[in-house]
Amino acid sequence: MSPDLHHLSGAYAVDALDEAERASFEQHLAVCADCRAEVAELTATSHALGALTEATPPPALRASVLSGIARVRPLPPVTGDAGEPAPADPVTSVPVTGEPVATPDAGATPGAGADVVPLRRRRTVAWFAAAAAAAVIAAGGLVWSPWSDGPAQPSPMAQVAAAADAMRVSSTKGSLTAEVAYSSQLGKAAIDLTGLPPAPAGKTYQLWYIGADGSARPAGLLTADPDGRGTMMLEGVAGSAANVGVTVEPAGGSAQPTTAPLVVLSLA
Amino acid sequence: MMGDMPAASSGAPASGEAAAAVAPTSGADLADLLRRSARGDEDAFAALYDATSRRLFGLVLRIVRDHAMSEEVTQEVYLDVWRHCARFDPGRGSALSWLMTIAHRTAVDRVRASEAARRRDDAHAASSQEVEFDTTAEAAQSSLEAQRVRRALTTLTDAQRSAVELAYLGGYTHTEVARLLDLPLGTAKTRIRDGLVRLRDTLGVPA
Repeated sequence: MSPDLHHLSGAYAVDALDEAERASFEQHLAVCADCRAEVAELTATSHALGALTEATPPPALRASVLSGIARVRPLPPVTGDAGEPAPADPVTSVPVTGEPVATPDAGATPGAGADVVPLRRRRTVAWFAAAAAAAVIAAGGLVWSPWSDGPAQPSPMAQVAAAADAMRVSSTKGSLTAEVAYSSQLGKAAIDLTGLPPAPAGKTYQLWYIGADGSARPAGLLTADPDGRGTMMLEGVAGSAANVGVTVEPAGGSAQPTTAPLVVLSLA
Repeated sequence: MMGDMPAASSGAPASGEAAAAVAPTSGADLADLLRRSARGDEDAFAALYDATSRRLFGLVLRIVRDHAMSEEVTQEVYLDVWRHCARFDPGRGSALSWLMTIAHRTAVDRVRASEAARRRDDAHAASSQEVEFDTTAEAAQSSLEAQRVRRALTTLTDAQRSAVELAYLGGYTHTEVARLLDLPLGTAKTRIRDGLVRLRDTLGVPA
């Protein structure tokens, strides 16, 4: 193990790494059993300090927590490690399977010959690293965390929703529910999709910023987790985009949408 | 620095009876409540809330400072816990530690995302019901566990203790901690780790 990284265990345990450091240390944790053991011990130890800060929450909080959970179904246990690889392999030619996706209008997928573009370009700011780390976890539990699938990773939705001007829009189509959080101040949008079936073989979900004139800019690839959920920060900046859309594209993504969107949400 | 044995000077035995295990409810009970919650048992979750909300809300409030935002974050934490309780793995640590980890991470992420300057405003500090945490002040109503933790903290060097407190209770990054303590860049993370190791050795490794 690298001694430098090893010394981050304490800071990681108390969430004192910035997002880029956290993401890279988590990559290290995935392969370093010593660090995992030490982080587990130091994390548990750090919570002893919680004995010094107890405070009674207002009674109303109990009521809102309990009414909140009544509307949410607990996720099922993890029953097998699918270990689904990240959608990284560019596919040059994909036979169109016509497999149904979430909505009827997603059937037509002229997959072959679509341009493959480098979607992960220009991840310039540390800010994106958190979303990337979350995506890695969603994709296959590659990253270690003290719980099985990292619920307390910074949720991209929460990051955007924390902005003063944040707005949320949602849309439901059949079993698919899409919610977008958008902040024009941050220039960022995050999406949270539920009821999302796995993309057909050789396909991926792709996000788009769509201008008022219908022009589309790629905003990243999204993978549905085994619970049918996919959430991430859209890549790139929202700029003047008026809508966010989701399409099914050949693995590796497309430069322009090649199918009708499953869903389009307005940022206006 | 790490050679001496602080456990010898600690009033409490450094046994498996560890810090995080001395919860409002025993760890086994909390784990059981989580298991039942995973099956959709809302009463079990209510009991879990009652057993842990002072601890979680207190931690969130200490980090976030703003009362309204702390309530919001705490609600988000419990919702996250509810959604993920089937994913709790007792083999990886205690139930309380799991809950606290989620609460801590969520609170820290929130303050960092929502403009760090805000919580450092005097206005917000003044609206907090908590005064600055001070290891030398033994609060009269301090629980036995809190007393034990305070004693354990005295085994740390000043730099270690300040670094651990600023990071854990303040929600600062190690880079910010270095700046706040006038430490050379890169050394705060070592202080944090050394301090936690010392605490672990004094308190015993939580089950």
